[in-house]
Amino acid sequence: MNISQVMALLIFVVMFILIITEVVERYQATLLAAFATIIVVFLLCMHSTKIVWDVISIRDLVHGEFWYAPGHGTAENGGINWATIIFLAGMMVMVEAMARSGFFRFICLALAKLVHYKPTRLLVIFMLMSAALSMFIDSITVVLFLASVTVELTNLLGMDPIPMIIAEIFCSNLGGAATMCGDPPNIIIGTELGYSFGDFLVNTGVISLAALVLAVLFFYFSLRKQLVVHNTAPGEAGHIEYPDPKSAIKDRKGFFRSWTIFAIAVLLLVTHSQTGLTVATIGVLIAAITLVFAENQAMKLLKTIDYRTLLFFVGLFVVVGGLEQTGLLSVIAGVIAKLSGGNIYLTVAIILWISAICSGFVDNIPFAATMVPIIESLSASLGIPLSTLAWTLSIGTDFGGNATPIGASANVVGISIAAKNGHLISWSKYCRYAIPATIITVATGMVMIYLIHC
Amino acid sequence: MSEKKKQLIISISREYGAGGHLIAQILAEKLGLELVDADSIARYFADNHNFNYDEVMKYSGKPFNRIIHRTIQGHTSTLEENLSRMQFDYLREKAANGDSFVIVGRCSETVLEDYDCMIAFFILADEEDKVKRVMEREGLNEYDARHTARAGTWNHKSYHNYYCKGKWGDSRLYDVCINSSRFGPEKTADILENYINEYLNS
Repeated sequence: MNISQVMALLIFVVMFILIITEVVERYQATLLAAFATIIVVFLLCMHSTKIVWDVISIRDLVHGEFWYAPGHGTAENGGINWATIIFLAGMMVMVEAMARSGFFRFICLALAKLVHYKPTRLLVIFMLMSAALSMFIDSITVVLFLASVTVELTNLLGMDPIPMIIAEIFCSNLGGAATMCGDPPNIIIGTELGYSFGDFLVNTGVISLAALVLAVLFFYFSLRKQLVVHNTAPGEAGHIEYPDPKSAIKDRKGFFRSWTIFAIAVLLLVTHSQTGLTVATIGVLIAAITLVFAENQAMKLLKTIDYRTLLFFVGLFVVVGGLEQTGLLSVIAGVIAKLSGGNIYLTVAIILWISAICSGFVDNIPFAATMVPIIESLSASLGIPLSTLAWTLSIGTDFGGNATPIGASANVVGISIAAKNGHLISWSKYCRYAIPATIITVATGMVMIYLIHC
Repeated sequence: MSEKKKQLIISISREYGAGGHLIAQILAEKLGLELVDADSIARYFADNHNFNYDEVMKYSGKPFNRIIHRTIQGHTSTLEENLSRMQFDYLREKAANGDSFVIVGRCSETVLEDYDCMIAFFILADEEDKVKRVMEREGLNEYDARHTARAGTWNHKSYHNYYCKGKWGDSRLYDVCINSSRFGPEKTADILENYINEYLNS
């Protein structure tokens, strides 16, 4: 390893330690590390201002292909992935407007009413809804609302909400794996490697669907005996006053507007390889439509954009750019290639299980961002189709995040909501269900990748 | 017509085994104030917020492993932190309601720092006295008691320093720092009561 590789690695490790220990906020950790990468790695070790400009990638924004790419999606050239950042910002605006209108709470309550508040049906319908919504909306928002409604309803029914919340978290992460916009690692993989929404849907989508079926069966059979109503004797269910779904709607006009904009967003995403609109353009369009129709709420919506998360991404991409530009990731790819001996089955197994295990304990976003150049390098050196490795990485990072309370953002939010309502989900309570279910789903993913792609 | 009592909040921070809890109990009794401690808070959460008393006691006021912890948009995966923040809110709410009470620990000297009616004490003690008290209170041998006292003090410190900018035990955070070994807990409580009375009469 040369000095620039050592420095890039050192900065990356320090950044990771700062993120894990939360000594500073994670966006501060990545920005500090990005600054150090630019000064120490690019300027002092590599003496190259050109690399700085390449990694910052601001030029991408003025390329027509960044916004409109008919045919297939365009691949980013490393460095800051502005498409991911712009898309996430756009979706944040839309999701905030939807949340304010009562959209999510309405869906939760309406579906609960549809299954007549029967515990096992409630479990299944909430698991399915969690997965379906997370295909298009960030899992944090989905779990935030779903867990709150679950606590509310289970309190009325006198049930323990903890198993249901764990199941919902689990399915939210499975749903996120199904599409390009469901989970940040997928957005990074898709935009970096030039895959479309449709590509994800027919590859990771199919695997996620199979995993979802198994997860529903797993949780159903594990929990059905626990889902007992204590508040009512048989036949007295009518005495409980359930919240009316309509009461969730805070702003009728905004509610219907939210449905319409959400439908447009889904349509634009599903058809983006046909229309040629990139995810960056879709992000801008969705935010623009939301803001125009939000009238006097527009400024408030803009203020709710989570700039810290966006800055986190900016810093992260620069640091990963440092690892890539110094050739360190090619070295790591070489080690994986050597370990697998060029065997496609072994390569897939290594990437899948390493991604899954790492994602169970560390933030899967920096992990995925780091792994993308590695799988590119592996694909080139071993002749394994890049798409096979891309789907493997996506399934590994997304499904693996389910294993522990800290594996994914949705897990943290679900546990926090439960705790604030008096239901403490300890590591042992969480892992009792999540680890077996994660092993089942990751193994399913491996078998399906073998059958379909190897 | 009885004159409305001036609001008074006594915050007691302490080293493990220094007799801080006993001093808090004596002060609460002498001043006729409610004693708010881990036990009473756990009971409040169990009675009013669906919590399990034992679980609250298990996770309250404890430091946690920073490696297996994650925070996302203000939400945290750690039960200790979730409970601690809820307890801080409970204390703020109580203080805002105008309640007078003696509070043991819970970073109260910082959480309630905006209240002029709050008097903060820090109770320390000589090592041997702490060990002796832990041996008597917890029925331990000297070796285990010494270990428990040190670990307990480390826990108080880590817990406090995670949530507060000011460092635990830093005299600038408290009105009075006092060594209970000098006169024993009862006499120490008398001294602190005199201090409180001076404040009330001022």
